[in-house]
Amino acid sequence: MNNFLLSALIFLPLAGSVMVLLLPSTYRDSFRWISIIVSVINLLNIISLYNNFDKHVSNYQFVEQHEWIRMSLGNLGVLSIDYLLGVDGINMPMLLLSGIVLLIGSISSFTIEYRQKAYHSLYLLLSGSIIGCFVSLDFFLFFLFFEFMLLPMYFLIGIWGGERREYAAIKFFIYTLVGSILILIVMIGLSMSVKDSFFSQETGRTVHTFDFRQLADFKNYIAHSILHPFEKQMIFGISARLFAFILLIVGFGIKLPSVPFHTWLPDAHVEAPTPISVVLAGILLKVGAYGFIRIAYGFFPDIAFQFTYIVAGAGVISIIYGAFNALAQEDLKKMIAYSSISHMGFVLLGLASLTVEGVNGAIYQMFGHGLVSAMLFLVAGVIYDRTHNRLIENFRGLSSAMPYFTLAVAVAFFGALGLPTLPGFMGEFFTIMGGFQSEILPNWVSMIAMLGIVLSAAYFLWTLQKMFFGTFWANRNQEENMKDLDFREIVMLYSLSALSIIFGIFPSLIFDISGESVKAFLNGF
Amino acid sequence: MLEKLLNILFSSRVLLPDLLFGVVFLVIVAAIAFSQKLDAERTYVLFNVLLISVLISLGFVFYAFLGFYTQYYESGSVLFGKLIYLDSISLFFKLIISIASVAVLIHVWVVGYKVVGEFYAIFVALVWGLFIMTMTTNWLMLYVSLEMVSICSYILVVFNKGKDNSEAGIKYLLFGATSSAIMLYGISLLYGMTGTLNFVGQEFTIFLGQNPTWIVQIAVFMAIGGLLFKLSAVPFHSWTPDVYEATPTPIVAFLSIAPKAAVILVLIRLFSSLSIDFRMIMAIIIMASITIGNFSALWQTNTKRMLGYSTIAHAGFMLVGLLATNTIGIQSTIFYITTYLFITLAAFLLIDLLALKTESYELESLRGLGQENIFLGLAAVIIMIALVGLPPTVGFTGKLLLFTALWESYQTSGSNMLLVVLIFGLLNTAISIFYYIKIPYFMIFKEPKIGVRYFQIGFIRKGFLLIFLFFIIYLFMRPSGLINLIESLKLA
Repeated sequence: MNNFLLSALIFLPLAGSVMVLLLPSTYRDSFRWISIIVSVINLLNIISLYNNFDKHVSNYQFVEQHEWIRMSLGNLGVLSIDYLLGVDGINMPMLLLSGIVLLIGSISSFTIEYRQKAYHSLYLLLSGSIIGCFVSLDFFLFFLFFEFMLLPMYFLIGIWGGERREYAAIKFFIYTLVGSILILIVMIGLSMSVKDSFFSQETGRTVHTFDFRQLADFKNYIAHSILHPFEKQMIFGISARLFAFILLIVGFGIKLPSVPFHTWLPDAHVEAPTPISVVLAGILLKVGAYGFIRIAYGFFPDIAFQFTYIVAGAGVISIIYGAFNALAQEDLKKMIAYSSISHMGFVLLGLASLTVEGVNGAIYQMFGHGLVSAMLFLVAGVIYDRTHNRLIENFRGLSSAMPYFTLAVAVAFFGALGLPTLPGFMGEFFTIMGGFQSEILPNWVSMIAMLGIVLSAAYFLWTLQKMFFGTFWANRNQEENMKDLDFREIVMLYSLSALSIIFGIFPSLIFDISGESVKAFLNGF
Repeated sequence: MLEKLLNILFSSRVLLPDLLFGVVFLVIVAAIAFSQKLDAERTYVLFNVLLISVLISLGFVFYAFLGFYTQYYESGSVLFGKLIYLDSISLFFKLIISIASVAVLIHVWVVGYKVVGEFYAIFVALVWGLFIMTMTTNWLMLYVSLEMVSICSYILVVFNKGKDNSEAGIKYLLFGATSSAIMLYGISLLYGMTGTLNFVGQEFTIFLGQNPTWIVQIAVFMAIGGLLFKLSAVPFHSWTPDVYEATPTPIVAFLSIAPKAAVILVLIRLFSSLSIDFRMIMAIIIMASITIGNFSALWQTNTKRMLGYSTIAHAGFMLVGLLATNTIGIQSTIFYITTYLFITLAAFLLIDLLALKTESYELESLRGLGQENIFLGLAAVIIMIALVGLPPTVGFTGKLLLFTALWESYQTSGSNMLLVVLIFGLLNTAISIFYYIKIPYFMIFKEPKIGVRYFQIGFIRKGFLLIFLFFIIYLFMRPSGLINLIESLKLA
């Protein structure tokens, strides 16, 4: 079945990007509207996909497949790269999240005044490649979009960022590039070890494929190939598949980010402009988690099983380490950045548990954290826009001056710290439940993770108390700047609040979608 | 006797287009000797450029025409008593060299370099030498063609006489002469071992195999010394940055691709008939080239010097396909060279266009140029990520193919060394991003010193750069055509 809806999701922003680039600068006020219109159309398109998504099957839907590159490798057969898109229960929630967050990001970009043409062109380019990354079902195509996200991100942080933007941008670039090179090595290895069963029979030659569906199937591995699951090939004295899996978890661990590969994130977040922080925390981190599920766990289930302790350990350490760091921060944005590291740790924990609850919880946590972290960075942006200052200690009693703002902040903070009916709770609850139910993981691992919830309650509530309660005061006599939200900010924060509450009360909106696919995914273990 | 004469006659007929170069060389020398200085020097330059470009293309049309006589190419034809070996792969490399020379001549004209007439004569001789190098399988012929290329390069490097220029020229000459001497010594050792000067063939392979491996390794390493010098691979690389910095950019652009392509072809031929395991030495050369090239480039503040170090690193990457020692390895090397042709020519053209504005090759002088001219800023981003090897540029496809070949070779041979080279090479691309990105970084991120002053570059200059950019992107999107062409070449 071929349809064009997923392609439209990718190419509409790319077309918008080119359009912005080609329009003369005299239309500079219309650029932001192009961004918004493109994002709205994409979101509507995604919602229609979501409605038409068949919840009762686990296989890929809306599949689009076109032959792209066929290279003959001489005696080795043919290298086949397809333009292959599709969604299942694992990437559908991510797609929905991207649609929402990219729209919020484009609304938030309204305040960008400096070189709008370049900004919106890059923003749309970024949007297209993010969506492309989530819907690709061909490893080559996935990698392409994965790499291609770096470039617009580098410029968006580097040009429109804060004081140390150049340092943060290059650090982000190099960290992620190292990660993606590790992934590239595995990609080459996998494609050399797997043949497309159908085309190989048809053409009589070995067709090396990058197709996700083929890579996940052990039957397609070529005998005596290096990554063959049942022949124990060795690299440097360790199993080849183990080696490949380690490369993948480091590669995606950088993107996720998981301790100890997280050090780029606080810099990038603090220096990035608000909309880019929103996109970075809301979606880009999820690309790493998605890669973990789809690629590292999907293609190497045998190794992932052995690695439960290490992945869960990395998750728990991220949770605790991120939380303690967040507790110590004086800068609001930095605090939120570390809280992101902490919350993404739950995704790893849920995934490592390899239970239905845990993996569903991980996907839900990704979705929920996407909404909440977008809100959190918008909150930081609101304060920064008014005062050019983000230090927590510089503000007190904001609730009396900015009541509407305080309400949104309360939803965001409580959503993040895991109050029931808000998304943070469901994600953390299910991942930890998965951890307890897991036959492999000992119970104390999940208990430590629960400590993370307590810590996150501590730093969020303390921040809330310090900044919003008490008598109204802002440092350097900036009291008169502290105006309440304007219309644009209300739209962004309140729509996200509403979505958080809806998805918090009805988590089945996500679980129904992901359920069947997760079951099928866990059958591989 | 008559047979020999007939052979020479026949060979000359097949090689007619090559001999045409000799005629052109003589004609230009004569024309310069007898012509007085023209007043409108510019028309003179234009005249020369058109003449040479037309001739090179003409010569090539000849080749294409001859290509119909498949008996010369399909199986490869041996000419001039085994001195010349003509096959489809040499034809392909001649095509690469021709494109490079035409592009460089247009570069000279577009940017407006003032050159003397002798330049064209020397240039023709240089191209001729390279053409001969692509179709030789004989050590002596190889040495002669290599010297022909070297001597012409020595002259070209010092063409516009300056102090830096002569220093670089002397360095180039000394290093070149030394490596030639080493090469000659290696060749004599190999001749002593095998008793044949032909390095492709049963005789060479069999006799070489009868000698102790380590002696053969040393001899081969010495014999390819002169080639590695042209390739600017470690340990024969140290001339590169100085020469690149001091030499006029079009000539550097030419040196960064055409001699390398010819040398790689010779290496492909040599390695396909080596009967010993030469991979260890190759691996060391590759890793050393990539590392030294990349790490030295990190500290450079001059763009041309930086690109000089970058070509050292790229020389390492070009050899990766040969390390793989399989057919796909050779094919991906050829693919890589073809793509590098467009990338490197584009890179040098770009910095020359920028230098037109700034009159300097310092990184610092690039401040804000991307803001003042968005087209050049975009071009810089595309070219530099192509040099790193990121998608969506053809640099990525080239590296992907190379490392796929290496992986395949590793999978069949199980030699861990290959995997080390693979990981090492790939991680090095992450390091290289740091200096390549500096050029767009200075152009786009840094504010210009005195406000933003928009400027335009001429239509022809823009169009010329666009052609390269088009190929860099297009070959990524649709590599099949080029790959099929390379596959159809008969590899030795």
